[in-house]
Formats: sequence, C-alpha cells, structure tokens
Amino acid sequence: MKKITIALAGNANVGKSVIFNRLTGLHQHIGNWPGKTVEKAEGTLFHIDYTIDIIDLPGIYSFSTFSMEELISREYIAEEKPDVVINVIDATNLERNLYFTLQLIELGRPIIIALNQMDLAKKKGMCIDIKKLQNFLEVPVVPVIATQGKGIHELVHEAVTLFENGYKKPKIEYGKEIEEEIQKLIEILNKVELDYPKRFLAIKLLEGDEEIKKLVKKIDPKIIEIVEKHAKNIENIHGHDRFTVIASERYKIANEIVKDCVSIGPCKVKHSDKLHEITTHDFWGYLIMIFSLLSLFYIIFTFGNFFSDILVKSLMNLQPIFQQYFGMGTVSNLVWGVGEGLIAGITIVLPYILPFYVILGLLEDSGYLSRIAFLMDNFMHKIGLHGKAFIPLMLGYGCHVPACLGCKIMETQRERLIAIFVTTLVPCAAVTTVILGLVGKYVGLSWTLSLYVIDLIILFILGRIAFKVFPGEPTELIMEMHDYRMPDLRTVAKQTWFRIKDFIYIAFPLIIVCSFLIKVLDVTNLSESIENLMKPITVDWLGLPTFTGIALIAGIPRKELTLITLATHGGTTNFAAILTPIQMIVFSLVTMLYIPCIATIAALIKEIGWKKAIFITVFEIIFAIFVGGIAFRLLTL
Amino acid sequence: MPEKRIPLINLKEGQNGIIISISGGRNVIQRLTDMGLTPGTEIKMLRNGPLCPVEISVRGFNLALGNGLAAKIIVKVKE
Repeated sequence: MKKITIALAGNANVGKSVIFNRLTGLHQHIGNWPGKTVEKAEGTLFHIDYTIDIIDLPGIYSFSTFSMEELISREYIAEEKPDVVINVIDATNLERNLYFTLQLIELGRPIIIALNQMDLAKKKGMCIDIKKLQNFLEVPVVPVIATQGKGIHELVHEAVTLFENGYKKPKIEYGKEIEEEIQKLIEILNKVELDYPKRFLAIKLLEGDEEIKKLVKKIDPKIIEIVEKHAKNIENIHGHDRFTVIASERYKIANEIVKDCVSIGPCKVKHSDKLHEITTHDFWGYLIMIFSLLSLFYIIFTFGNFFSDILVKSLMNLQPIFQQYFGMGTVSNLVWGVGEGLIAGITIVLPYILPFYVILGLLEDSGYLSRIAFLMDNFMHKIGLHGKAFIPLMLGYGCHVPACLGCKIMETQRERLIAIFVTTLVPCAAVTTVILGLVGKYVGLSWTLSLYVIDLIILFILGRIAFKVFPGEPTELIMEMHDYRMPDLRTVAKQTWFRIKDFIYIAFPLIIVCSFLIKVLDVTNLSESIENLMKPITVDWLGLPTFTGIALIAGIPRKELTLITLATHGGTTNFAAILTPIQMIVFSLVTMLYIPCIATIAALIKEIGWKKAIFITVFEIIFAIFVGGIAFRLLTL
Repeated sequence: MPEKRIPLINLKEGQNGIIISISGGRNVIQRLTDMGLTPGTEIKMLRNGPLCPVEISVRGFNLALGNGLAAKIIVKVKE
C-alpha cells in the first residue's frame, strides 16, 4: 500500500465538508489543531493500492493573517507539504473563489480544482467552459455535484494521477509593474531558505504580511528594508495601500478568467430571492424569526416532555430488576446511583437535545440561521459581538457543551471569550426541564416566561459589562449571504452527531463520576451535614428549605439532577407540598444561573483555559446566589 | 457635474456605486479586499434598513456588512 496525503482547501460554505464526508465516510477523526482552538478534521480513504489521508482545512477566503484559520492552513500546506491539494470552489461564485485559488497556486503544491455545485450554476443559467478554465489555470478541473456524489470518484482518480505523473507549476502572472517587483524580490530572496516558495514569500512581503516579515527578518533584516522601499514605490504609483494593490491585481486576474470562461444564460431560480427578502425584512423578518423560534421551542419541549416521561418511566422500571440481581445493599445502591446519572443524561439527550439540534441543523444548512444572524447583528453589537454569535447562543438552549465549542465561529479570541461567557448564561435543555417541572407545573405560564425574559435581560447586562471589561474594538459583521437551498440530510446528520458527540464524550464520564460521588454522600449521611453547612445560603439568604442544599450540589454534574434530588430528599414528587411558589421561582432562578454544569466547565477549560474557566464558574455561582436572594426579598415584600 | 462620493451606508436600496476607498485599520481593509471589495469594484445596495446591517451584491455574490463597516467604505454613486 502506498500512502498519500490530500488536503481539502477552499472558502467557507462551498461544500467542502460534504466532499470530505463523501470521500472518507465513517473513517474520520475530528480534533483540534495542536495548541489551537481550531477544528481539524482528518479522514482516510482506500483507493486501489493507495491509502489516502485526507485533511479538511478550515474554510477561509484568503491566506492573509486575519484569522487563526488562515494562518494554520497556509502553515500546514507549506510545512507539511501534502501530496495533493484539492481546492473546492463554488461554481456559482467563481470570481471570489478563484481569488483564493490564485493564492493556493502561489503556495506551490500540486493542485486539483473541484468545481462544486455545478447543478446550481446550471440553474442560475451559468455555462462554465471547463476546458478553458483548465487551460487558464494550468491545473486539472473536475466538475462535481457533491450533494449527489457526482464527480467524487473522478476527483480521487485525478488526484492519484497527478501524484503519479508529477505536477508542472502553473505560471500566472500579475500586471507588468507588480510582476517586475515580484521578480526583483525573488532574486533578493535567493539565499533565503524557508518552507514557503520564493514567489509566495515575495508576494507576501510586498503585501506587508507580518508573519512572513518576521520569518525573513530573522534570516536577513536587510531584505525587509529593501522590501519596504519597493512597497512604498508601489503605494505611490497606485495610490492605495500595498495590500489593496496586490488584492486588486489578483481580483483582476480572477475577473478576467470569469469573463473568459463563463457565459450567462437565462436564470431559472427566483423564488428563493423572494424568501430571502421577506425573511430579512425590517418588519416581517423579525416577526417570522420570533414566530419560528418560539414554535421551535414549543414543539421541542412539548414533544420532549412527552417522550422524556415515557423514557424515564421505562428506564426506572429497570431498578427493581437491578435490585433483584444485585440486592439492596450499599454497593448496589452506589452502582444504581451511577445508573441514575446515566438515565438523567439519556433522558435529556434523546428527547430534547437531539431533536433540537436536528431542527437547528436543518435551519442552518438551509441558510435560515445566517438570516437570523443578519437580523440580530445590531442587537449583538450592544454586547460587543456581531450577528454570527447568535448561532452558538441558540445552540446553548440545547446544551452548553457544543454551544461553547461552537463559539469558534467568532473571529478573535476576545470575541470567543465574550460569546462563550454569555452562552453559559442561556438556560440549556436541562435547566428548562427544571423550570418546567417546578415553575411551569406549579406556578404558571406567566412566571415561566418571565424567568426566560429575566434571563435574557441578565444576559444582556452581563454581556455588556463583559464587553466593557475586555478591551478591544469589536469585529464587524462580514458574512456571505447564500441563497436558500434544500438542506443536505447527510451534512445535517453529521453536524448533529458531532454536536451530540461533544456532549457524550465530555459529559457522560463526568456525569457518572459525579452521580457516584453524590450517592456516596447520601449513603454516608454526609449530605445532611452539607445541607446544614449550606444553611446560611439556602435558608437565611435564599429563603429555601434546608434539603434544597444537596439538590443544588446535585446540579453540578447535571442540572436536571436538581429536580430528581429534590424529589428524593424532599420525600415526594409533588413539589407543591414541599416548596412554596416563591421558593420554586427562587430555586429555578438560582439553578438557571448558578454554575455551568461540570461538562460545561470541562468545555470551558478546553476552549479558554483554566483561569478564565474558573473565573466564570466562581463568578456565576456568586452572582446566582446574589440574584436569588434579591428575588426572594422582592417577591416577599 | 461633480460626481457624488458618499459612505456606502448612505447608498439607497437599488442604487449602484463604485468603491473609491476604504478607511480603517489594516485588519478592516484586509478583510474587505479579500472579499473582493477592491477600489474600482462596482457594488449594488440590496438592503439598507434601519434595524439591520446592509446587504450588497458584489462580484456576483451577496454580502452582509455591519453598519460600522459600511460607513467606512466610500463609494461613487453611479447614476
């Protein structure tokens, strides 16, 4: 077996991951790039006598240094030198995609172009002359319809052929003046040995790329001085800054290629434009958004409640069977405690989180979530974020773990941090079951809704404070608005699985350990002393009964355990008998805010490090207790 | 007739404009030019409501831009 490595590169949203999934099927592994919070997807494909490793690089628009993703991608291609790079481009949006292709060619690795979404291009009336495109770029171009699996086999075949037959570097030249400058720099760079090709270095130096400058400076600081002179020269001639000049040159080439290779006939799709117009409308857009989000929550939680009840009942039926085999001693009790923890996890994932993420995934893939991001942009700006942050926030209503990991879509570290912080304040599905089980069932709908509104207000205020505390200019929204499309079920299924997987891998082991520990507290009667220790907070400050102390502790592994523990320690599932309506409201409020559950803390550590994770955790505990106490006093006035 | 130069954000829906310059830090310029908003490029304002960001059509695709960014892009109005 011969081994080759193929990297997939391209803009975001061009069907790169659909192609990745088609190529690798189930043989894939998703992790992070070493030391970075950027996702790395790897997979394996077996083709005749080749084992092909496939790396799916992040979706990017350029090889600048604006984001971590761009930097990682270009470093990977230059340093690891994959045998072939498949550049996935969107046939309906050729010009901007080619801008990236041109930069990819400059990186010097063998390239194949996967011209994806040929079906959509056809519908839009675009006719692309593939032969011409191939001649222009001097690289193989394979037409692909990834969602239907068309062209995938040809892609692999071309990649292997390219690997076997070798690659002739295409020569694409810029305008005369710029090209002359590039050639001069290449000569000067003669003795500089770096992973990057000379031409790439020369162009990046002209652009003023800080990272490349640093690398070259280490070898020969004199080169930088010369480069700066050349760059000044260019800026003077063109009247724009150097980066803009080079980008314009590249776009000029891309534009010429498109003019030459694409002819536009009559367009056949129009209805998605109307849908786009109405869903981003200043009045109807918001109305539709509110209506669709509310109905989403309504459907998920009525369905979830129904399904979860059945699930809990049938799983709890296992207890007598379990006791039949293992007796009713301490050990059996402890083991069953672990079982209960598992049941609590399962009865949240299956009825609530799974359907929620499936629907969200469908909305995302169809393009509706980006419309929501569009509508929410100005609002999110008030807390120093832009519209896209609304997407992880939405995920937070399901489970905080994938939501925190989902904050990666934010461009800078600072924004990721703020987004993660506000996301942990959103009531997740587990908290919602507690609120519905207490306030919803015994106090009434208006108080239930009020709790959600209060949470939004708190989220907004704290977000705004966080925005002021972490200095820095907020990044503005730059988002491509794609046409609506039929969601690709495979992509949605995959996306849902990865989100749920985050939860299962991080949360389940922790749930098991913590449920066990809580059972130990129970068995050893330690829980009573803990309850007493917590009295100044629970009883004196929050006005709750003593036994709620242990329930709040139980919420640390999983928040839905608070309700279960309340029942076991209160001695009844009729909560009206043990808690007053005010106590229920206060208890729910505290549960909603007081701590990101243990799995979320783990996710926080993974994403933002120990210190910040602990800071957020401690802050939220103190804050929740503070708010709970205030609420208690206000309600008993 | 002197040509009208205005910030992109003042362009009315349906109006076309040609990008003259972008003011702002290197990051802003880099992100926008990478997306194809280079000087001389023609754009069309698709949506410019009071509550939302603006949406423009550029180089054959649609792009949403935060209002702050749209204020930094100077365009020449195309009649």
